[in-house]
Amino acid sequence: MGVAVEIKNTAPPRLHLAFAGLGLALLAIFSWMLLHEGTAEWRTTQARFRRLEATVKNPYQLAQSATVAGLRQIWLPDLGRVDRCRTCHLGIDDPAFTGASPPFAAHPGAWLSTHPTDRFGCTVCHDGQGQATDYVNAAHQPQPFVPRPMRPLETIEANCGTCHRALDPPAAPRLAEGRRLIIALGCISCHDIPGFEGLTFRGPALDSIGNKVRPGWLAVWLKDPKSYLPQSKMGNFRLSTDEIAGLQGFLLSQRLQEPLDSTGVDWKNADTANGRALFGELRCVSCHSINGRGGTMGPELTRIGDKVARDWLFSYLKDPHRVQPDTPMLQYRLTDNQLRDLTAYLLEEYSSAGDGSEPPSATYQDARLVSAGRAVFERRGCQSCHRLAAIKDAGRIGPSLAGVADRDPNEWPYGSNVVRHTTDNYIFLKVLLPDTLGQPSLMPTFGLTPADAAKITLALASIRKSDLPASYVLRRPAPAPYQPAGTFGELVTRYRCLSCHSVGGFGGDLSTVPLDRIGSQLQHDYTAKYLLNPGAVRVNVEARMPVFRMLPDEAKSIADYFSAVFLDDSLDQYDTNFTPSETRRGQELYEQLGCRACHQLGTQGGYVGPELSTTGVRLKPGWIAAWLSKPQAYKPDTLQPDYGLSSADARALTAYLSSLGRSDAAQARGENAP
Amino acid sequence: MNQSTPGSMAAWLDGVRRSVSRVGWPVTDKDRAAAMISSLFLHIHPARVSRHVLKPTYTFALGLIAGILFLVLSVTGLALMLYYVPYPPEAYRSMKDLQFVVTFGIVLRNMHRWSAHAMVAIVFVHMCRVFWTGSYKPPREFNWVVGVLLLLLTLGLSFTGYLLPWDQLAFWAITVGTNIAAHAPVVGEQMKFLLLGGHVIGPMTLLRFYVLHCVILPLAMLLLVSLHVWRVRKDGLSGAATQASPEEEVAGVFPASTKTYGLMALSKRPRASVEARDPNDEVFAWPHLLYRELLVALAVIVALHVVSLVFMAPLEEMADPTRTPNPAKAPWYFLGLQELVHYSTLVGGVIVPAVLVLALLIIPYVDRDPKGSGRWFAPERRITNSIFTALVALFVGLTIVGTLFRGANWAWVWPWR
Repeated sequence: MGVAVEIKNTAPPRLHLAFAGLGLALLAIFSWMLLHEGTAEWRTTQARFRRLEATVKNPYQLAQSATVAGLRQIWLPDLGRVDRCRTCHLGIDDPAFTGASPPFAAHPGAWLSTHPTDRFGCTVCHDGQGQATDYVNAAHQPQPFVPRPMRPLETIEANCGTCHRALDPPAAPRLAEGRRLIIALGCISCHDIPGFEGLTFRGPALDSIGNKVRPGWLAVWLKDPKSYLPQSKMGNFRLSTDEIAGLQGFLLSQRLQEPLDSTGVDWKNADTANGRALFGELRCVSCHSINGRGGTMGPELTRIGDKVARDWLFSYLKDPHRVQPDTPMLQYRLTDNQLRDLTAYLLEEYSSAGDGSEPPSATYQDARLVSAGRAVFERRGCQSCHRLAAIKDAGRIGPSLAGVADRDPNEWPYGSNVVRHTTDNYIFLKVLLPDTLGQPSLMPTFGLTPADAAKITLALASIRKSDLPASYVLRRPAPAPYQPAGTFGELVTRYRCLSCHSVGGFGGDLSTVPLDRIGSQLQHDYTAKYLLNPGAVRVNVEARMPVFRMLPDEAKSIADYFSAVFLDDSLDQYDTNFTPSETRRGQELYEQLGCRACHQLGTQGGYVGPELSTTGVRLKPGWIAAWLSKPQAYKPDTLQPDYGLSSADARALTAYLSSLGRSDAAQARGENAP
Repeated sequence: MNQSTPGSMAAWLDGVRRSVSRVGWPVTDKDRAAAMISSLFLHIHPARVSRHVLKPTYTFALGLIAGILFLVLSVTGLALMLYYVPYPPEAYRSMKDLQFVVTFGIVLRNMHRWSAHAMVAIVFVHMCRVFWTGSYKPPREFNWVVGVLLLLLTLGLSFTGYLLPWDQLAFWAITVGTNIAAHAPVVGEQMKFLLLGGHVIGPMTLLRFYVLHCVILPLAMLLLVSLHVWRVRKDGLSGAATQASPEEEVAGVFPASTKTYGLMALSKRPRASVEARDPNDEVFAWPHLLYRELLVALAVIVALHVVSLVFMAPLEEMADPTRTPNPAKAPWYFLGLQELVHYSTLVGGVIVPAVLVLALLIIPYVDRDPKGSGRWFAPERRITNSIFTALVALFVGLTIVGTLFRGANWAWVWPWR
């Protein structure tokens, strides 16, 4: 054994000091942790709410309800979300807190009555990180690693569109307008856009463009379409001079196989005064505008003389469907002389140069230029909008926009634009200024206003990969195409009824009268007479049905078809045996209800609604009764008031109105009405 | 119990206490020794230890810290297991729930992650310490081998845990890691298939990594840690006798002795070990060793808490297989490898790691000369130490390059720009 060294069995003091220090540190840390948890942002917010609650709600109500304490979440397994917004936004669905200071204020508007939080949560509309329980992490402002921070309120309609896929969703006007613009401006021609399947946009077919346009005009147009026509839908393709020259050559080489049938026309004897009269009679301004006034379905005619060649215009007016297939323009029945006069009038009246001479156009004979132009045509994707038989359909030139709002905004180029890198900003810049994003772009510059570009951005930002279950999505109703056959079908094709009228939702909307039940609305004879000489039923409506110069047989065919096919059985069972007392009562009601304020009868009355002197020969009683009883059921936005008429009163009014126009004098008036 | 005197109450309580803890709070030397040996948990310690064991500047308690970190990881890990769901979208959401809903959830998660990183670093430094003090020399060769296996297990645990948050960082780090593994010849693709549970990283991978991380690897770790500590217990801490005479060094670490202790069993051993200690050089483990261990544990826990409260563990967006971040980086401890892979996949990804691991494993069987063991940077081992230090520095340097100096497309960037 060695030396008996006394080794104490207690630790040296410095270790005790270390122990005390570390112990205190641990206690301090634990206390800090507890404090940190106890003063979490959501807890202090809830404490503030409880104090506010005491001032807003009466004590009895407070005593009955549960105390606000603890996390609140809405778990939506269908949507794969957990939203904890209500932990702080405690008054969001309680009207008692309207006008309270944030975050306790109740939700503005009536949105929560149609979108209750229990079914929708909050982030479906507002985005943000719903799982968070504090302000910063909930991504009220953009937050790193949160791919969808809360949307600024002015763009919130984009989220409406993720569920509401219809083209005109309710209560989202900017989104609806954006979707309308996408169709109207032809975005769907170059891009495959989810939600717009089956819709088409077409520019004019170019098969006869070589015959059609003056070369000088074509160069101006290709350089900048809006310099000829400010409201042109075609964008500026930013073409170089060489490209324009090539395209010119290529397009001018596109000529009809059969020659234009304008040979033998005696142009020297053209009567422009007759042409002017015809122009008024045919009601061209229903679809075409002059100096900004008129319809927008067809091209503006203000400077048509600068654009088209004389022979082509003659042929086109004679048979539009041969010269330019798929055109929405109808084929009038006119004689060659009338066509000659009309053509001469248009070219003389509506041109800036005015000399009417035809400059030679030989550039289309240079084969190299033509093939260069063809290459430009294909590379820039002109065939996406303009059909050309010479070009094989290669599909849409632009990339598909599926999931465009889901892409990582940091992957996109922003060029020299100094903006925050968000999806919305990129789409907006691309739509407004496609050539400023630092990459060569094939997309034309459309010259949109920033407001329109913003609306289109909203519509595109609503296109997300579908992470929504079917129970939440309201699909776009897709009307089936309507293509009648037989004689009626030929007439519909010739006179292009569907350019202005719709059947089953398919067709144009220039006329506010869909044809689905027209046979139960209008009387057969009136229809046949009307088609031969369309009059004005409402004085204040600018668009008028053109004078087709139909043959009487054609008008009768159409009227027969209407009366046999476009029927609504619920309107045709009406008992038309009216008694004189009913008619008298109807006349009293007419005075009492003040119909005269909006409707003309004879020479008296207002101009808001149709004139009623010829109702007896025009409308069917079943329709009159149904319309008077519940106008909004047939036309939701009509100005006709719903008087809440009893069926007896409606019948009386119907009896009175059905008696109008039946006297000989009234019939004569009806026939001669303009 | 029929007695009703007040003294009998105390006696009854004492009886209860004695049924749980046979020794109680020791006051005599005999009790101090007994306290260690009669306890299931404490008897990993000897009853008495050499005074030199108490000095911190030899081992820096690195092994102990690694053990404490493992304990912290186990406790925090078990708590996290109550909330974590190992199925892809829910995995990420459960991370968010931990961050926002669970009381102290943030601290729990942060502590788990930072102690995991700390453990990898500490284990590595521990390995360096063991090498630099030559403590792998006979009779401790196999313990070094077990230690290398533990290092690999630690890396495996960290790697499997890295995927669990299922965010972009996790997903692509594991993509890089498993792709490097796939470059091994012959077995590479099979290994990757085995790891991923398929051909792509998906729900099968997550489940597999979860089971590896929570069950298989921790069990293996427990097994090997027990063996590792058992060996330390039996072979004793190297370098305890810094004033050992040359004869002592030749004979082994300690000279033989005939001293026996009645309280513990003798172990038959080829070389001298625990029994060879000078009894006057020894102190009771209770309280000297245990107190110091407690202080180390406290210090580690305090440090972990501070770090967990100040620094947030990263959590990026949810994993998106269609969007690769550029650059996609492996976990930091594999960045040296990834840097090497950048130069040559085969060399960097397969040959170098294989060679390194093999070299580590056979070191104690190559360098069997016991000279210089038990001291820091013994002059006899200058060459060995220099080679090792150079390799370590190179590896650390490569890791730093991979962490700080590599940007998109693995191009060189200056981190301060």
